[in-house]
Amino acid sequence: MALPKRIIKETERLLAEPVPGITAVPHEDNLRYFDVTIHGPAQSPYEGGVFHLELFLPEDYPMTPPKIRFLTKIYHPNIDRLGRICLDVLKSNWSPALQIRTILLSIQILLGAPNPDDPLANDVAQRWKEDEAAAIQTAKEWTRTHAMT
Amino acid sequence: MKLDQFLAMDVGSEDDRFLDLRALEYISDYDDHLMCPICHCPFIRPVRLECDHVFCQTCLNSAIRSFATGRDGFTCPTCRTPTRDVYLNVPRLLTNMCDEIPVRCPFSSEGCKEVVPRGHIQSHADKYCGYKLMDCPSASCDLRTRKKDLSPEDKCMHELHKCLRCDEDIMEQDYERHVQELCPSLKTTCPDCQVTVFRKALREHIEACPEAIHPCSASKYGCPVKMKRAELGTHEQSCPLITIGPYFEAQNSRLDSMELTVRHLQQRNEIFEDGLASIRSTLVESSRAFSAHNSSNTPTTDTNDTLDTPSEINRRSTPRSTTTEDSTTPLSNATTYLLSLHESLREEVAQLSHAITDLDARASMAIMNECLRLKEDMAHTNAAVNSVRMQVQWLMNPRLHQGQRAAGADTSTGAQSGSAGRTGAGAGPSSTGLLRLRRLSDTGREGTKL
Repeated sequence: MALPKRIIKETERLLAEPVPGITAVPHEDNLRYFDVTIHGPAQSPYEGGVFHLELFLPEDYPMTPPKIRFLTKIYHPNIDRLGRICLDVLKSNWSPALQIRTILLSIQILLGAPNPDDPLANDVAQRWKEDEAAAIQTAKEWTRTHAMT
Repeated sequence: MKLDQFLAMDVGSEDDRFLDLRALEYISDYDDHLMCPICHCPFIRPVRLECDHVFCQTCLNSAIRSFATGRDGFTCPTCRTPTRDVYLNVPRLLTNMCDEIPVRCPFSSEGCKEVVPRGHIQSHADKYCGYKLMDCPSASCDLRTRKKDLSPEDKCMHELHKCLRCDEDIMEQDYERHVQELCPSLKTTCPDCQVTVFRKALREHIEACPEAIHPCSASKYGCPVKMKRAELGTHEQSCPLITIGPYFEAQNSRLDSMELTVRHLQQRNEIFEDGLASIRSTLVESSRAFSAHNSSNTPTTDTNDTLDTPSEINRRSTPRSTTTEDSTTPLSNATTYLLSLHESLREEVAQLSHAITDLDARASMAIMNECLRLKEDMAHTNAAVNSVRMQVQWLMNPRLHQGQRAAGADTSTGAQSGSAGRTGAGAGPSSTGLLRLRRLSDTGREGTKL
């Protein structure tokens, strides 16, 4: 099936005017599959880290949300061991007016503002609530070991 | 209009008669505000929601189909305002702006160079574009042909015809162009000599054309002359650069061989440098090993050395150096042996300097002791002198008083005091001067009194 105009246009724009701290490059053999990197936001435990993600645009995109997963290990209450992300706009609150660019921005913001009250990784969220300083310290350590090469 | 009514409307996008406007190539960048948030193309038949957000009709249709089900209501994809109505009337301005965006004719791959506003592309394709592909009028042929190539008699243009000149099979629709422009057997004129040659022979002709402009064969040595091939021969006979050419060649070959030797030498140099570096590294390694070996030995010897006299040190250090030699001889390497020798010598020197400082300290200690003793003696004598002085004074005092009283009573008793002074002088010979002085002063005072 031919690639919809929308995906071509989004890809062109992502490459021509990239969002600061975010890159998304499509695979040459599958233009619906993107290699994404997100830089940890400043003043967050993930600052200085570069996180790799994979992004796949399903057949009926933009009527269904893109599938996104962290490939780099990250200590975050809304991201689980397998890299799956708990973000409303990736699930029930998806809208076809959203795009790759806005979704990646949302993920970057999620890194800067963890939400332990709506957890995906329960153990992390528990720790985050009980001893936030220690949790942030662990997040920093994980960032140093996994997201800085 | 309610949502279900809107969904029931004929979208008409599947109709083959209409061009797919989203697939068109847009020549210029268009404003983001003219872009449907769902398909990212300029709005195509835009419709509006209650919240004034605009979408293409087809895009909104599929969005409603995907998102209205399973939820209590449909919300605007942009602002999430719950929506029940769709309005088909959008400002004329918006549709005009979208229709004004220039697009390339969809048949550009067939050769159409037209760029028209999007609002006109449908009529261009339908009526004016000669490159639109049409089905072949012949029922038996399933090829397509360009609209402009269609024959008025509705006959199939895909029959093959043999070109009379080049024996190639050409379709009828391409025949005219082939004959006029492409056929390799067509004649053409050389741009330089105006001779008419076959098109396929033109390349060979240009290689040999006497009128073609060619550079002098000495151009690689800097001859700037460029002239027709026919006249080049006369130039080359007189060209000084051509006569000097062989010399240049020889120089060039010499330079090449020089470069080769230089490269060869460089390689050898590199090999030598590598060898040097490896030697140096082994030296450093062995010295480190040796120093480690030494550091395990030195602490015990140091404690002994502090008590040794220099002669003893000399005697001790000689056997020591031999032992160090013994320990290094297993390291068969000559350099390591030299190094160990050097190390042992250095150690001897260190021991000597240690002994010298030790002696120095001892000598200064002895001097200090002697000084202290002398100081003590002096203090003793001082104290003795002081006590003698005190005694003399004590002895002298009564006599002095006596003398004064006698002087106050009678001057003739002065002789008595004088004899008393003489006995006092006998007691302490050191204080006689003082006593005499006092007496003198006493007599002097008596004198003034008198």
